[in-house]
Parts: sequence; C-alpha cells; structure tokens
Amino acid sequence: MEQRQQVVKAFAARGVEPDAIVLGVTGTPGSGKSSLVARLTTHLLDHDHSLRIGVVAVDPSSHLSGGSLLGDRTRLRPSASSGRLFFRSQASATELGGLGPSSFQVCRLLAYLVDMVLVETVGVGQSEADVRHLADQVYLVLQPLGGDEVQFLKAGIIEVPHAFVLNKCDEPQAQQSLHHLQSSLWLARPFDTEPVPVFQTSAKTGQGIGELAEAMAATLHGAHPGIVGREPYFFERWVKDEWGRVGTAYLERSLGGSADCLVRSGGFEAAQRDFHDRLVASLTRAPVGAHP
Amino acid sequence: MLWLDAGQAAYRRDVTEQRAVHRLYDADGEPTRDKPWIIRTYAGHSSPKASNELYRKNLAAGQTGLSIAFDLPTQCGYSSDDPIAGPEIGKVGVPINTLDDMEFLFEGIPLEQMNTSMTINGTAMWLLALYVAVARERGEDVTKLTGTTQNDLVKEYLARGTYIYPPTESMRIIAEMYEFCLDAMPKWNASNICSYHLQEAGATPAQELAFALANALSLLDLLEQRGHFTPEQFERAVGRISFFVNAGIRFVEEMSKMRAFVELWDELLVERYGVQDEKYRRFRYGVQVNSLGLTETQPENNAWRILLEALGVTLSRNARCRALQLPAWNEAMSLPRPWDQQWSLRLQQILAYETDLLEYPDIFDGSPVIEAKVAELKAGAREEVDRIMEMGGVIPAIESGYMKSSLVRSMSERVSRINTGDQIVVGVNRWTESLPSPLLSGEDRGIFKLDESAIRDTVEHLEATKARRDPDRVARALDALQQAARDGTSMMEPSIECALARVTTGEWAGALREVFGEYRPATGVEGQQLNLSGDRVDALRARLDALTDALGHRPRLVVGKPGLDGHSNGAEVIAVSARHVGFDVIYSGIRLSAEEIVTSAVEEGADVIGASVLSGSHVALAEQIVDGLRANGAGHIRVVLGGIVPESDFEKLHAIGVRQVYTPANYQLLDIMDAIVGMLESDAEVPPPGGAVAS
Repeated sequence: MEQRQQVVKAFAARGVEPDAIVLGVTGTPGSGKSSLVARLTTHLLDHDHSLRIGVVAVDPSSHLSGGSLLGDRTRLRPSASSGRLFFRSQASATELGGLGPSSFQVCRLLAYLVDMVLVETVGVGQSEADVRHLADQVYLVLQPLGGDEVQFLKAGIIEVPHAFVLNKCDEPQAQQSLHHLQSSLWLARPFDTEPVPVFQTSAKTGQGIGELAEAMAATLHGAHPGIVGREPYFFERWVKDEWGRVGTAYLERSLGGSADCLVRSGGFEAAQRDFHDRLVASLTRAPVGAHP
Repeated sequence: MLWLDAGQAAYRRDVTEQRAVHRLYDADGEPTRDKPWIIRTYAGHSSPKASNELYRKNLAAGQTGLSIAFDLPTQCGYSSDDPIAGPEIGKVGVPINTLDDMEFLFEGIPLEQMNTSMTINGTAMWLLALYVAVARERGEDVTKLTGTTQNDLVKEYLARGTYIYPPTESMRIIAEMYEFCLDAMPKWNASNICSYHLQEAGATPAQELAFALANALSLLDLLEQRGHFTPEQFERAVGRISFFVNAGIRFVEEMSKMRAFVELWDELLVERYGVQDEKYRRFRYGVQVNSLGLTETQPENNAWRILLEALGVTLSRNARCRALQLPAWNEAMSLPRPWDQQWSLRLQQILAYETDLLEYPDIFDGSPVIEAKVAELKAGAREEVDRIMEMGGVIPAIESGYMKSSLVRSMSERVSRINTGDQIVVGVNRWTESLPSPLLSGEDRGIFKLDESAIRDTVEHLEATKARRDPDRVARALDALQQAARDGTSMMEPSIECALARVTTGEWAGALREVFGEYRPATGVEGQQLNLSGDRVDALRARLDALTDALGHRPRLVVGKPGLDGHSNGAEVIAVSARHVGFDVIYSGIRLSAEEIVTSAVEEGADVIGASVLSGSHVALAEQIVDGLRANGAGHIRVVLGGIVPESDFEKLHAIGVRQVYTPANYQLLDIMDAIVGMLESDAEVPPPGGAVAS
C-alpha cells in the first residue's frame, strides 16, 4: 500500500494522468475470448504505431489447490510491438472467475502507463457486475448456438454490455444465432435509445476483426470518466473483502459511504489507511461487554 | 531374322528360352544392367555460401544429386534476424532468408541438370517458390526442374516436430503444390510420403508400411475431393506420389518390407482409384538409412551398420530405391565433417559401380522364404491401413492420438528389449570393451565445428537484401499471398512473386500464420491426467499456502519452452503439476525466444522461470535468459531448467546462474515440485514443514 502510494505520487509529480480507457471483454469459457483479444491487440498495435496497450487476463483458480494455470499468453506473439504491449495474467482466486482481488489495482497502475487497458474475464454471474464497474465499455463475447443467449437473458446480463460480439461467425449456425440474439435484445433492452452494436468476428479467419478493432480504437477519442471515477466501487469492495459486513456497515453509517471517504482522505491508499485506523479505534473504544 | 536358316533359328530359339528362364541377359545377350540410383549426401550448414562450396565439392567427388538440409529457423518459418532464430542459425542445416540466399546456394550449379531433394516441410511451398524463382531469374526452363520437396506434415505432427499450420491448412498447401507441379514442373515430386521418421519414432515394419500408405491414400483422397484434376490428370498425379523410407539393420526384413511396399501400393491404387496405367502405380522411393540405430559408443562400428542397411534397399531390383543418402559413421556425435561424408559417398560408389549388384534381374523372385515374409508384412499392414482409413484417414487418426500412442508403445518395447539385452547392440549392451579409436584421436576428436563468422554473414546479407528491395512490391506481394490464403485460391504463384520481391522466410510464414493460425498438438495442457494425489500433494499444498502468506502473494511460475523443436510434453506436464500443488502457473507456450521468456517473467511478476529445452542449445539459451533478467532489473527471478542436458553441462549452467537442472532421469514430478518449493522456502527463509522438529 505504501509503495502504491509512492508510485501514484511519482506519477503526479511528473504530471502523468491515469487517463487510459478501460475496455472489458467478457464471455463464457470456450467463446474464444483469448484468441479474439490476441487478434484485436495485434491489429490495434499494427495500425497505430504510437498506441500502447495493457492486457489483464483473468482466469479461474483451482478450488482444490488454490493454484491456477494461466495460458492466455500463448495466444499472443506480437512481432513488432516493441514494448508497446504489456500482458499480465491474473488468477481470480475464485473458481468461477470474474475479477481477481488486485485486478483493479493493476488496471489503475496501467492507466498511467498505456492508452488502452483490455480486461479479459470469464463471465459468469456476479463478475459481469465487477467488469461494468471497472470498464468504460464492456464487450460480451458469444459463440454460435452455445446456448449462452438464453443463459445470459436469465441472468439479466444482457443489460450490461455496451456491445455484443458474436465470435466464431465462420461456423455454420452463426446466422441463426445472430437472429436469436437480435430478437432477444429487442425484448430485453426496451429502453435503449440506440440499437446496441453487434459485431460478428472470427478469430480463426480474421473476419470482422478490423471493424471491431476500429470501434475500440474510436473509444480512445471519446470522453470517458477515467479510472479515478471507478475508485468508490472498488474501495467498497476492498472494505467488504477485508472487514466483511461489519466494515461495510461502518463505511455506510459512520463514514457516509466510500465516495465521501475517498474525498476526505484525498486518495485511495490514504482512505484505506484512514478507514483501517478509524474502524480499529471504534472497535477498541466499544464499551466492555459489547462484544463477546 | 529372315535370312537365318532353320537350324540357326532353332538354336537361337533355344538360347532365347534359356535366357528367359534365367533372365540373366536381355534380347541382345547383354547383362540386364540397371541404372544406378541417385547418389546423394544430406548436407548443409552455416551459410548459403559455405553450403554451396560443400555441394560443389560433393558433386565433383561423384555425387549425382543434392540433398539440402535447412536449419531449424528456415524449417519453422523464421528469418535469421528473429530473436528466436539466434541460437539455431546454421546449426542443423543451411539458413535461407531470401531469394538472394537461394541464389548463393545454387551458384554455379545448373538447375536444369540437377536433381535436388529438399528436406523441408512447414515452409515447403516457400522453398519451392524460391527454387522456381531462381530458375526464372536465370532464364532456365522450369518444366525441366527435377527433385523433391519433402513436404509431409503428417510425420511432422507424429515425430519430427517442424510443423507450423493446422492439419487442414497444411494438407491444402500440399495439395496446391501437387496441382501446381503436375504441368508446370512435371518431373518434380511435390511431396515425399515419409515412413523414415516413423521408424525413428519406433514404428515396426508393419506400422511403417501402414502409416505411410494410409498417409498417401489420404492425400490422394484429398486431391480427388478438391476436384481440380480431370481423371487423366489425377492418374498422372498418382504417378507423382513418391516415398521416403528408412532402412534399419535387420536388412532381410527391410528388403522384404520394400517388396511389400511395391506390391501393396500397386494393389491399393487399383482397388481404390482404378488406376489403369501400370507406370503410374510404380512405387518410387528415396532412402536415408537408419540414424536411430547408430551408436555413440564405438562409433566406427556404424560404418558397417550403414553398409548393411544400404543392402536392404538395393539388393532387390524390383524394390530398389531411386535415390540413396547414407549418414556418416559419426552422426550420433555431431554433424559430419566433409571427410566423413566422402567416406559414405565412396561406399555408395563401390556398391553401384564396383560390385555386380546392378547386373542382375531381381535375385529374390521365386524365393519361398522371401515371399512368405512379404505376405506376412502385407497382411499386418493391410489390417492397419483399413483401421486408419475407417477412422477417416490420417488426420483424424492423428487428432485422436491413435497413431502417436501406437508409436510410443512400439518405441518403449524397443527400448526395453535393448535394456534387457534381448536385442543385441554391439558395443552398447554387448562387447562394450574397446581399444582406443584412432578415428577419435585427431585434433578435432572426430567432431565437426561450425564457423561462427559464416552465421554472422547470413544476418548481414539479410539486412543488405532488406535495404535494397522495393518495399511497395514486398507489401503488395504479401497482401496477394494473404488474399489467396483467405479466398482458397492457389498460393503458389503469389509465393513465387513474394520470392522475386525478396520477401523473407519469416515474412512469408508470418503472413500465413496470420490467416491460418499455428498448430498446437492434441497433448495440450488441458488434457493432461497425471493421477497425482495423496499425502505428498496435501503436504505441498500446505507449504504453498504458507509461502503465499510469507510472500504476500501466491508463488508465480512462468513455464515456457525456448528453442524451435515442437516437443511440448515436458513443459506441459510441469505446468499442470505445479498448478495441482498450488502455484499460479503462467504457461507461455513453445518456440519462444529467450527474450520472450524474460518479458513474460517480468510482466507476470514471476518468482520462478521453468524453461524446457530439448534442442541442445540449453547453455546459450540459459545465458540469454539470465542476462535478459539482469538487464531488466529482474535478477531475483530464479531460473530452473529441464530437458536433455548432458551431465557435463550441469556445472556450466550453475555457473551461469541456473538454480536447478532436471533431466529425463528426474521423472518423479512431485520430487521436482518438492525441490522448487524447497528453493523458494530457503530463499524466503520460511522453514519447511517439520524441518525444525526433524533436525
């Protein structure tokens, strides 16, 4: 935590802002996310010779051993990126996937160093919510007739993404799946003012990669809140991970919520330290007999 | 013969009948002398210029064809300036980067008059395009070019390891080369169906027959399905299928195997495709005799082994090879020196020109023993061919792991027969005592040393070509190549244009990698079942949990395979075991440069790098990895190395900074895990569990 604060200060002293755009790529296992991200990254780097990209690939950990096998790196062999690509694998520390405990911090650091951060996660249930809070744009990757369309509808996840990617569009059932998805969208997102983009890609043949990559590159020029705006959610998550329900209750009732906390303390690490000190003090000041 | 009188005519008839029975002479009363096979030596090293000198010397010494050995980067589709190529340039063959290199390689050698065999597979289309481009630039007649591109990816997946693209795409490349060559280069063998490497991987004679024939049938099925040939063209294409065969020390059985090949091929072509013309059903093959059986101890004995193996493929006229290349006596120790190659060349010349071998018709026709042996081999092979074709051909049989596991079983049987002494290998498991060999006592100890300056020249030539060429033409040529790859049209002419535009080997292969992707064999990390469980696993998991607390993070292990051979099994097994005991494992894949492994380890915040090296370049790669880590301020990342490492190199590796070295002798996975965890514990000053109590 101390080191992190020093790093942040050092960046501030040099006038470097954490202004990278953060894009989330999520989808079920087997939808071909890793190959797709590899293709997109290569395309983006080849077409913009000043662009710097950070990839954070999160994969599930083994429930039994706590260990993990992170193999997404094998798909990427950038030839001419010459230091413009940074790739970090992360274990989710849970069996289902989603973001790992330090994913936010990794993205926060990368936001100072690169122009675009791609966060790749296994999307099952809760983790979509996490990605939505971390990323400025969320891309949900589906595969033809994987049956995911129905599953995503059920989980309410269809409401999350800013765009859909129908991958493996070279497969025979692709057209049918496209119709299925479009009709589901009409029903599930009646309040969209504009139609949600649906990209059709094939990481295998390269079809559609160019269009999707260009859409991603275009987000670089749009306004986005920046990673600092993401801090309240992840501060709350940190409190919950570290202190459980007692911590969450204390944050809400006694400190007026995470946004206030961050402002008062003047930064993430300072807020973490202040929170720790205050909570510990409040617990030790509690009247004798209040706790077993 | 109308002017002969009756008596003379009768006499003449008698002699003719007699000659027909013995068939010793032709109608003119001359011995039925066979043409000698093409005499070659598998050669190439260091640089195009050095190899060209070698070829010219070999041709002057009486060699009648060339057999080109390429280095691993060229075979795997990387240019010499790719970081992954560094330690391998010019090691096992000649590096070819651009058309300029190819012109150097064949300088002073008229292509129209040469028979050139190229041992090239993943990049076969590219090397053929370069060869054609040399002929076009020189104004030679392309239709006269004679030779072979090896171009058999099936055995690459099974045994040899220099594949690049997935099976479907690889088979398409092979098919397009047949389609191109049929009329444009009618004397060229677009591919060689290889049984050679199957024997090296342990195949029995019946397996060798069956796998090779099934491979050939699968290719012909594909050519038929593609529908680019008229029936007449298809029949001619059948006649272009040639084979590359191994010959082992059991030379009577090997000779019978060759006769079985000839008969089976003829029968299968009639049955399956109804090929009418007999000449298109002829089994044509080239040979390199067995390297697997050559020994490192008492290497001079290999000279006799090579001679006997050569007999197996030359004795039977009806099943005689069309081209022969013999290894050198010291091949198990190093690349051959020019003198070693000359010695093997002289053996072929004595056999072909000094003995009476070529003067007779087939000397085994009518032998009941040979006929029985051939029938037995054919029956076994037929059964196996049917099984594979029922699976849908060789590609499904590879993808399901069927062929690989058959070979692994045969190989382990062979090794155990040698270990138990049931199979005698002279000088290895019998009569191992030997007087000191004068062949090994020369200044060079019988070993070939590469000229490192030649390798530097190669990289400089590449830079010079790149500086000279027209970048627009290069870009257009590569675009056209990719377009053809996507459209499904022939990539052959676009490849020739790439060659003329001075595209590099790495650029050509890279452009197709972008479209086709890269093949990863079925034995991937996902499928591994290691059956590791029990108290030792539980104990290791507890120790990793303790380390996680002490370090503030779960220990991270980057596993990767630097070097160009495709054997990923070792690395995968280590990755899976490490995850199983509780490491966060980052598997970074195969065919990596040292630089890529360093980048992975730094970006991933690794505690340990586990590198698997089988290519023999472990010292150079270890140096590059350790130096790279230091240069990136990551000297704290520990390096452990596994692979085929001779004990004599252990000290060197430790001096470089490699912490632990594992060889095939360390086959207990949990022992390896134990040692890696122990190293982390001692570095972090975490006491191993029970350590305090025990001491």
